[in-house]
Amino acid sequence: MTTLDTPPGTPGDAPEAPAAPPSATARAWRTVRSSRAAAVGLAIVAVHVLIALLAPLLTTYDPIANNADQALLGPSWSHWAGTDQYGRDVLARVLYGGRYAIGVSVAATLITLLIGTVVGCAAALRGGWFDDVLGRVLDAVLSIPSVLALLVVVTALGTGPSVIVLAIAVVYVPQVVRVVRGAALAVAPADYVTAARARGEGTWAILRREILPNITDVVCVEFAMRASWVVLLISSLSFLGFGADPPTPDWGLMVAENRTAITVVPMASLAPIIALATLVVGLNLAADGLSKAWGVDRIREGS
Amino acid sequence: MLSFIARRVLAALGTLVLSSVLVFLAVQALPGDVATQVLGKDATPDAVAALREKLRLDQPAWERYADWIGGAVQGDFGSSLVSGKAVGGEVGMYLGNSALIALVTVLFAVTGSIVLGILAGLYRDRWPDHLISTVSLVGMSVPEFVVATVLVLVFSVALPWFPAVVLYGPEASVGRLMPAVWLPALALAIVMAAYIVRMARTSVIDVMASEYVTTARLKGLSGWRVVTRHALPSALLPTLHVIALNVAWLAGGVAVVENVFNYPGIGKLMLASVQNRDLPVIQAIALISAVVYVVCNLAADLGAMALNPKLRTRGRTR
Amino acid sequence: MTAAVVSVTSPVSVDSLCVAYRSGGRDVPVVREVSLEVLPGQTLALVGESGSGKSTVAATLLGHLRHGSRVTGGSVRVDGADVFALPARELRRLRGGTVAMVAQNAGHALTPSMRIGRQIKEAGGDIPVVDLLEQVRLPRPAELARRYPHELSGGQQQRVAIAMAIAARPKVLVLDEPTTGLDVVTQRGVLDLIGALRDELGLSAVLVSHDLGVVAHMADEVAVLRSGRIVEAAPTGRLFAAPQDPYTGRLLASVPRLDDEGLARVGETGGREVRPKAVIPEEAPVAVSVRDVTIDYGSSRAVDGVSFDVRRGEVLALVGESGSGKSTLAWALAGLRTPSGGTMTHGPGHDGDPGAGDLARPAGKRPSALRRRVQLVFQNADTSLNPRRSVGDAVRRPLRFFGTTDSRAATAARARQLISDVRLDPALAERLPAQLSGGQRQRIGIARALAGEPDVLVADEITTALDVSVQADVLRLLDDLRRERELACLFISHDLAVVRGIADRVVVLWRGVVVEEGPTDAVFSAPGHPYTRQLMAAVLEPDPGARIVVAPAPGWVDAAEGGDLWVAPGGGHRVRRWRAAG
Repeated sequence: MTTLDTPPGTPGDAPEAPAAPPSATARAWRTVRSSRAAAVGLAIVAVHVLIALLAPLLTTYDPIANNADQALLGPSWSHWAGTDQYGRDVLARVLYGGRYAIGVSVAATLITLLIGTVVGCAAALRGGWFDDVLGRVLDAVLSIPSVLALLVVVTALGTGPSVIVLAIAVVYVPQVVRVVRGAALAVAPADYVTAARARGEGTWAILRREILPNITDVVCVEFAMRASWVVLLISSLSFLGFGADPPTPDWGLMVAENRTAITVVPMASLAPIIALATLVVGLNLAADGLSKAWGVDRIREGS
Repeated sequence: MLSFIARRVLAALGTLVLSSVLVFLAVQALPGDVATQVLGKDATPDAVAALREKLRLDQPAWERYADWIGGAVQGDFGSSLVSGKAVGGEVGMYLGNSALIALVTVLFAVTGSIVLGILAGLYRDRWPDHLISTVSLVGMSVPEFVVATVLVLVFSVALPWFPAVVLYGPEASVGRLMPAVWLPALALAIVMAAYIVRMARTSVIDVMASEYVTTARLKGLSGWRVVTRHALPSALLPTLHVIALNVAWLAGGVAVVENVFNYPGIGKLMLASVQNRDLPVIQAIALISAVVYVVCNLAADLGAMALNPKLRTRGRTR
Repeated sequence: MTAAVVSVTSPVSVDSLCVAYRSGGRDVPVVREVSLEVLPGQTLALVGESGSGKSTVAATLLGHLRHGSRVTGGSVRVDGADVFALPARELRRLRGGTVAMVAQNAGHALTPSMRIGRQIKEAGGDIPVVDLLEQVRLPRPAELARRYPHELSGGQQQRVAIAMAIAARPKVLVLDEPTTGLDVVTQRGVLDLIGALRDELGLSAVLVSHDLGVVAHMADEVAVLRSGRIVEAAPTGRLFAAPQDPYTGRLLASVPRLDDEGLARVGETGGREVRPKAVIPEEAPVAVSVRDVTIDYGSSRAVDGVSFDVRRGEVLALVGESGSGKSTLAWALAGLRTPSGGTMTHGPGHDGDPGAGDLARPAGKRPSALRRRVQLVFQNADTSLNPRRSVGDAVRRPLRFFGTTDSRAATAARARQLISDVRLDPALAERLPAQLSGGQRQRIGIARALAGEPDVLVADEITTALDVSVQADVLRLLDDLRRERELACLFISHDLAVVRGIADRVVVLWRGVVVEEGPTDAVFSAPGHPYTRQLMAAVLEPDPGARIVVAPAPGWVDAAEGGDLWVAPGGGHRVRRWRAAG
């Protein structure tokens, strides 16, 4: 060092900054604290998950045991939400009902997001013919109604949870690919990615080090939103009789079973509806809150 | 401009061809022998052989695809495995009934949601926005069958204004079906509007924060003029594509609602044909849905062109 | 009540204005106790660095505040009316009618979906649109009125914005950085137009600018803002000749000038001390050699037959307006564009360097040893660092990637060393880019480039996005580094005054071809090509009395043909052949 006469950058001209960079968890915690919507939404979802896990502790009734003597009762001390036409306790079925909905939705959403993120990033980075062809194929898949596709798959392969999870992945992957591809494309031309290219870094390293950290926001929001759709879709399938097999406790199935008796025992239909709606509201609030707190543009994900 | 349109139309056609291949392949890929699948496990070998003959399963796949798509272009989708009638005519009949619902739904949903979305966007963070945003959040959080059930409870059971279920077959006249159209349409419109409202709100907020809207304000223009002339054309642009996707979504969305109301539309036919494994009908419905999707998106692209001069004048130089 | 009497006569009178912005439940003041006055026909300039509150003050003249801001004290009077007390209808009449605004970026300020003519007509007044467009010197106004904003160039858009502002013949014009995004030559044209219109229509004006050259050229009075406060206000001549406040002095002294023969070092009170340029030894080896390079974008040619050499320890400046191909060349050297013709080679370094090689190949196909020898520093430090990774990580990555260091501990130590080499506190290493200032981020950008131990540094407009005092520091750093490390430095810039101070040689690019090149002193003292003269004439010196450095360029056409391309005055200075037009 021959000359060191340049004034050092004074710490004073930095914007007010905390001493250490926030870790991912600290950042998530700050987000939750700053966004009431996200906090409320995540709390609702957490409560639902807890209930589903702890269902056996919360009720003494068996959700699938028929009891003809107790059929179609209104709310009472022994059956808080009454019973259905087979004499099963409605509350017990609602509490257990989350297991199927949440379990299948989480699994399906995770798989969808995993595939979607990898393919979306690959499309954004590779570009060229791969991107073009992929775009066309995805558009073609999207053009077939998801309900119809699911119905066909389920009729052909049966209604096992693994079949439904895979079917949902097939139906929703194209949409996730589009969103992730859009987000990755927004990051790809950034100078820090260019710098990595000029350095000669490989595609995988660029993806992992430069792009993925900058689209985790989008992926998280996408998870919450996609999960809400999957919950709705699964309940619709069950309602139509193509999802959960009776007598599995499932909210969509419960509405289908008890709808005809709605004037007699309204709670038997209302309770699963309320459970379903609160879960989806929770997921939507979380998606909204997170996207607002992180500045994720949900416009691209509008559909 | 013409080349832009031509490119879009070509791309749409390409997507359609791919969709049809996908539909065809998906049905082919169903596990096991199609004929056994259709007839069930305990069908006699003769019946299976007869069906194989009828479905021409002995010929190569591409030949069957060519036959099928060639017929489809002319409206001939083969004949139903269940009723034996021509699929084209049957699907057309159900489709017409569903079109009634779709028309009413789109009319309600699009006009209503755009107005509400713009209102929410303009009154950002004040009570109209909170109200509209909350209602739309709930709207997109309840499944169609729940909305439909609640509507039945209110407007058929509590207030006997509309029929709870349809008692007519698919041949019923428009006049007969009309009273039964409103509730399904309303149920679909509520769910659909929820998404469009949110989209319209976000894009109005974005555009109202843009520099050109500020400039228009600082020119001393009235609030109304700023909104209608400067903000709306750009704010509607992203909304258009969401509308298109939602209209296309109707093709599947009707399945649930029509079954709640027992309405003789394409959704009910879809469910019945899946249950009966009526492959020609399923293929026809899938293909027609794909056409609807592609046409909606094409319409949105053309609409975007009308709103965005950059797309219209591409190619003209400075 | 004397203040009230005065304000009736002056078109603009701001009295101890305070504006605060609500953030996290508390008021953050952005404008504090600002008072100013504009007399009829006079222009007041608001000067300051980013975040000084100058634009906020200007916008209050139209009764406009950003979302979330509010006036916490004081008043703004325009033409006698208290702007923030006016009913909505009156305020609308005031906007456009009495006071009109020309915004910074006309490309964003014009509604994209509306024809130019209608947008101007909307602004009110009864002057025909065509006349207005003629008044802002736009060609073929009738045809132009039917166009959409995106069909115009940046300069044309800004002229349209000006036409819109003067449509209703206001008394006061508010100009918020009216030429910031424009090329120097275009900027000069727009400023001349504004000056002419102002005199012609007898307008008072408030000009917001960070560019002291623009201010010296346009304003009668200047108010210098810092952190929302006016630190000094004086008539332009007096302020530039004898600044009273030390901050103003430092600001003025930081502006590079066309007659600086080296980089100026600015003292605490604004004193300037020019450091002579480094002397490059005759035997310094050539680090980069570019021969007849041509680069195409699709069917258009961005760079056309360019040749030059850069020696170790030398700064070569590539100068030109946007579209001249200078950045394309920079990216090609960094391996991000592939030339379609010509050769680019990395010269043999001392001791038989294994990194010697072909620079025409893309980065991915260069050997690692070559890749690390040529490093690029980006224009915008805000986007060149990954926002989710600490700045230390940005420096450590190339160290590990190129294998410069062999252990984790060595990497960390080397990174800290590099960070202190760019005159930053190594403790900053664990911060995220957003937690640093613009100047600090740019230094990290340089440290990252140094991590590969390059002998060629390509600096692409690295000070363009920085405030003037920060720019001076970064330039100084670059100059130090090339002396310490004998870096060959390719310095890309559109700003001739900056180039004058730092570059040893200059290459002037015009539409992808070299029109002039030579030692900096020779080119600046005797610019041979009319395009070079045009660029120099467009530079605005921070001195209201500045004489024009060179005579304005005549109209010209290119006259280079065949093998006869150059006129060479000697001493390495050569000029592409041209002749007067017409």
